[in-house]
Amino acid sequence: MKKKTVRTILFNVLIAALAIFWIIPIVWLLCTSFSAYDGMNVSTFFPETWSAVHYAKILQSDSVNQFVTWFWNTFKIACFTCLISTFFVLMVAYATSVMRFKMRKPLMNIAVILNLFPGMLAMIAVYFTLKTFNLTNSHIGLIMVYSASSGLGYLIAKGFFDTVPRALCEAARLDGCNEARIFLTVVVPMSKPIIVYTVISSFLTPWMDFVYSKMILNAGIAENYTVAVGLYRMLDKSLINTYFTQFCCGGVLVSIPISILYIIMQKFYVEGITNGAVKG
Amino acid sequence: MENPLSEKFGIGPFFSNFGTAVARGDWSVKLSLLWMGAGYARRKQYVKALIMTALEVGAVLFTIFFAMQYVPKFGTLGTVQAEQVFNMETMKTEWNDYDNSFMILLFSLFSFVVWFAFIAVWMKNVVNVYRLQLRAEAGQHVNTFVEDLRSYLDEKFHITLLTLPVLGAAVFTVVPILLLILVAFTNYDQQHMPPTNLFSWVGLSNFITLLGGGDSLTMGFGYAFVRILGWTLVWSLFATLTTYIGGILMSLLLNSKLVRARKLWRTLFMVTIAVPQFVSLLLMRNFFSNTGIANTICANIGLTGFLRDVGAISTTYIPFLSAPGWAHVMIILINIWIGIPYQMLIATGVLMNLPADQLESARIDGANPYQTFRHITMPYMLFVTGPALVTDFVKNINNFNVIYLLTEDVYTTTNQVMANAQAKEVDLLVTWLFRLTQDYYNYKMASVIGIMVFIVCAVFTLIAFNRMTKGDKEGVYQ
Repeated sequence: MKKKTVRTILFNVLIAALAIFWIIPIVWLLCTSFSAYDGMNVSTFFPETWSAVHYAKILQSDSVNQFVTWFWNTFKIACFTCLISTFFVLMVAYATSVMRFKMRKPLMNIAVILNLFPGMLAMIAVYFTLKTFNLTNSHIGLIMVYSASSGLGYLIAKGFFDTVPRALCEAARLDGCNEARIFLTVVVPMSKPIIVYTVISSFLTPWMDFVYSKMILNAGIAENYTVAVGLYRMLDKSLINTYFTQFCCGGVLVSIPISILYIIMQKFYVEGITNGAVKG
Repeated sequence: MENPLSEKFGIGPFFSNFGTAVARGDWSVKLSLLWMGAGYARRKQYVKALIMTALEVGAVLFTIFFAMQYVPKFGTLGTVQAEQVFNMETMKTEWNDYDNSFMILLFSLFSFVVWFAFIAVWMKNVVNVYRLQLRAEAGQHVNTFVEDLRSYLDEKFHITLLTLPVLGAAVFTVVPILLLILVAFTNYDQQHMPPTNLFSWVGLSNFITLLGGGDSLTMGFGYAFVRILGWTLVWSLFATLTTYIGGILMSLLLNSKLVRARKLWRTLFMVTIAVPQFVSLLLMRNFFSNTGIANTICANIGLTGFLRDVGAISTTYIPFLSAPGWAHVMIILINIWIGIPYQMLIATGVLMNLPADQLESARIDGANPYQTFRHITMPYMLFVTGPALVTDFVKNINNFNVIYLLTEDVYTTTNQVMANAQAKEVDLLVTWLFRLTQDYYNYKMASVIGIMVFIVCAVFTLIAFNRMTKGDKEGVYQ
């Protein structure tokens, strides 16, 4: 019994230590955002004087900081991406999971291979192409990049659809439903967790992404930036001393909604997986 | 009647079906070779005949009015340099009718893809028409157009569902990769930038440059490539292994029944990955900058002084992210911070499905926790996540965010040869490639590096893919 107590204490202390270690940068982000000083605080961990003045500053646009516009831009891009990607993912998942056709297996194999290749590689060529059509520095180009090949991320949704009892689909078929109606009236209503998961995860893609938006919007004007490019620009060598605290405020403001969505998403992911297990 | 067509999917059956259809089809099938609507028109499927005719006319018009502008110049990539000429009629200076090499390259590729697709459709069409003939001869019902349309919501619903996603993936992954390969054989760079300048085919010379040949101007590339490739592989190996093992250990700890408030801890770790990387990594980079807070703390506790005394550093600060060696280690350490919570989430998911009876029987047999881990948990984890380990390795080869956000603008190389090739010691192939395209417009070298990354990834990808599809050990844990 005694040995177990020692282990319990050891484990709990260890996990607490790890958690503290992991949360230090986040705490630093929060603290610094409430600093009264414009630039980076280098002498102490906690700011010397506390103030929320930079939160007021970041919400007012100036020549460099247009956080509100960036936030709105990212939101728009995220909404469109989310809409297109969700449709693509659910469509591919249904076709590969419920339907049987000759090309199913070869297509799935190709998808596996394409999925393993990082999208990063095709990016340069996509960038040339978008540039030819004058779609760089535009939101449409970015939305296309985010959503065009999103159908490749269908595996999780397919895993869920696989667990929807085939008997239900058969029954609907006998009642004279065609495949489209089975999809819309039988499978979709049963798949709430996985749909929520798909919606949130595709909505989050543009918020979390840095490289694509940097590549596409890099040469454009500040008004068109997304949060990622805008905040990155704030830390330019010439700007960091004036904008570091505002960067932290921006970081906090964008992280809060994203974190909440992320945690909700994880919940639905687990729910989707376990629900599936029960049904299957 | 026996069906002379093969119902299998594949390239072989596709061609043999075409052959069968041409050989055994009646006059209308043979006419379909020329006029794609012929077979349908004969079976009174007039709308379909019209659509196919329109498609054929479209393809011809496309060839005449679009493809012919570009494809004939594909061999040279254009010869007419852009110039401003004075037009006597309008009394204005105007651009001449110049060639844009990139447009020629892109639209020629586009034309090839369209032609390829059209030929596939054309062959498929002949087979379909022959199928129609077989049905008609057997006295079976021939669909009306409305019935055909309806079938796209029923037994052919998968075509309706898949067309757009497949098209999207093809246009944004397959075509760009082909384009990338083509650019690697040209001299498309800052000196040859359309529309004002032309670029042309240069054969393998970019590859030779990258592998160490080339003139004195580009000598650095060979050296830089070897060093960066080496670091890319070392980084991927360490980044993958540390986070993988760390993630499993942490998820075991978090799921241990002895730990209180497990949900709270898990949420805390989740928050650290929910913060976008461009926030957390940029923050880290300033935290560890030469004049940053980490250096102040190290100076205060005397670590900086100690390191100076033992000769590990020669500066008044610790160059966490700005000197070779230090930066390499720090990047891997910071990546542990970023990566372990991800792996923990994945490992937790896998561990939830760990067969409980095996754990139970191990406990009854008197195995201690270490033995259980070594002989049950770990083999199971490796079985489930083994292929993912290779995928992670490939992802880390292309882990742009961590390297770029931590070192861009912070790390400046002192190695002149590296600098000549616009490379840094801490670069991965992808960040190097990104800088070459974005800052130096050196598209030709970027494309060659892209192909190299592609080859490296392909090797590991195929290993992973083979393990995923064959080696069916699925039964073992079911």
